[in-house]
Amino acid sequence: MRDVAVVSFAPSEPGLTGVEETETQLLFPVINEALAKIGITRKDIGFTCSASCDYLAGAPFAFVQTLEATGAWPPISESHVEMDGAWALYEAWVRLQHGDVDVALAFSSGICSRADIREVLSIQLDPYYLAPLWLDPLSFGRLQAEAVGQEPPTQAPAYTDAAAAVVLAAGDRARELVDRPAWIAGIDHRTDAHYPGVRDLSKSESARIAGQQAGVDKAPVDVAYLSAQYPHEGLILMDALGLTHGYGLATNPLMVSGLIQVGTAADAVIKGDANRSVGHASAGPCLQQNLVAVFEA
Amino acid sequence: MSEPVRFVSQKVDLDYKVVTSPVARRFDEQMRAGRITGHKCPECGLVYVPPKGFCPIDCVITDESNEVEVRDAGTLTSFTVITPIQYQGQEEKEEYVLANILLDGASGTIGQQRVEGIPHSEVRMGMRVKAVWGGDPNEGSRGWGLTGAIKHWEPSGEPDEPKEKYQEHVL
Ligand SMILES: [Zn+2]
Repeated sequence: MRDVAVVSFAPSEPGLTGVEETETQLLFPVINEALAKIGITRKDIGFTCSASCDYLAGAPFAFVQTLEATGAWPPISESHVEMDGAWALYEAWVRLQHGDVDVALAFSSGICSRADIREVLSIQLDPYYLAPLWLDPLSFGRLQAEAVGQEPPTQAPAYTDAAAAVVLAAGDRARELVDRPAWIAGIDHRTDAHYPGVRDLSKSESARIAGQQAGVDKAPVDVAYLSAQYPHEGLILMDALGLTHGYGLATNPLMVSGLIQVGTAADAVIKGDANRSVGHASAGPCLQQNLVAVFEA
Repeated sequence: MSEPVRFVSQKVDLDYKVVTSPVARRFDEQMRAGRITGHKCPECGLVYVPPKGFCPIDCVITDESNEVEVRDAGTLTSFTVITPIQYQGQEEKEEYVLANILLDGASGTIGQQRVEGIPHSEVRMGMRVKAVWGGDPNEGSRGWGLTGAIKHWEPSGEPDEPKEKYQEHVL
């Protein structure tokens, strides 16, 4: 495997809502900041992966427009995931393993304030049994809280608007760009069954396997940032990852939450606040999909 | 004997709030005053109509100081005669023409523009067209396109442009 590190991270200001700019305009400053921090330009990027959801924008192919923030002419090598930005980071990491490019950009954006998120998220459910019931994230949160014997939540964290960008670099290029690259010691993502009725909701098998594959338990962890929307999700995740403490989500900017948690974990290593950190991202009902990344100085 | 296949129809209805960006709001104000405007990139000189608030090639931010007016006339670069399928909510009944138009003074085409005042069989690439104003500016704008201020486009009567003039803009 090639040594790959996160060398820069820039999120938008936390807690934004009612953003008037386009998603592309929201991305411009975070991409600019992520590049400026390490003194490179868009021309230095060998691969770009974006993440967003057309169902938040309410328009088909909305994701194509965000590419305009990357300087995609002459044509660049790029990809998109209809997932949280942490999965774009994962694809960028995979792409850097190919060995022919040394620097990659991953970013994500989501404007939640223009849609009814409880409706939008129920559309991701299976169309036969669950979508017709319009089961929303709070209903799932309450079901899962009961499964672990916790008080069911009465509301989810506020959905906010956000964008974030990370730059990844391989080997010596990473060492040139920053004093303390956040080396990706392990990264893995797993998914549980789509239908919540066939799962044991009191635990997260996919988070456990992802954590094990990423090597969370190989050495002590200084700090962990988990995409936990509710206290009970934090308990399930800490149990699955073998952690005693982790920071959860204060607000939930969909499509960006996970990238912010993973990017913040990497940034703790870059800034020298931690020597070993864990970042986690989640998607789907009741922590269905989980991504775990371990960063080391 | 097998049972006949049964169907369940489930209608999905998602509501969105349409937010026009400050750049689109300014463009809309200008359209209501009868002016089509764009932003000219200070680096490469390309004129974007409608303005985006940035140049996607140079990745520089543009604003009102980069605003330029373009003509309400241009060259049709490509078109489609559309036969409306009668799905639920369809308001079109007859065949109609949508075209890409390269406005005089703009660096790229505007898409999905309605062309009237000419038999469909005579619509052609390179044809010169002019705007017919007087539409409802509150109609049809989601912060992109040209708003509803222009009803449609019609032939201007000028001679056709040779293909060298527009071939880079044909989709
Ligand atoms: Zn330019």
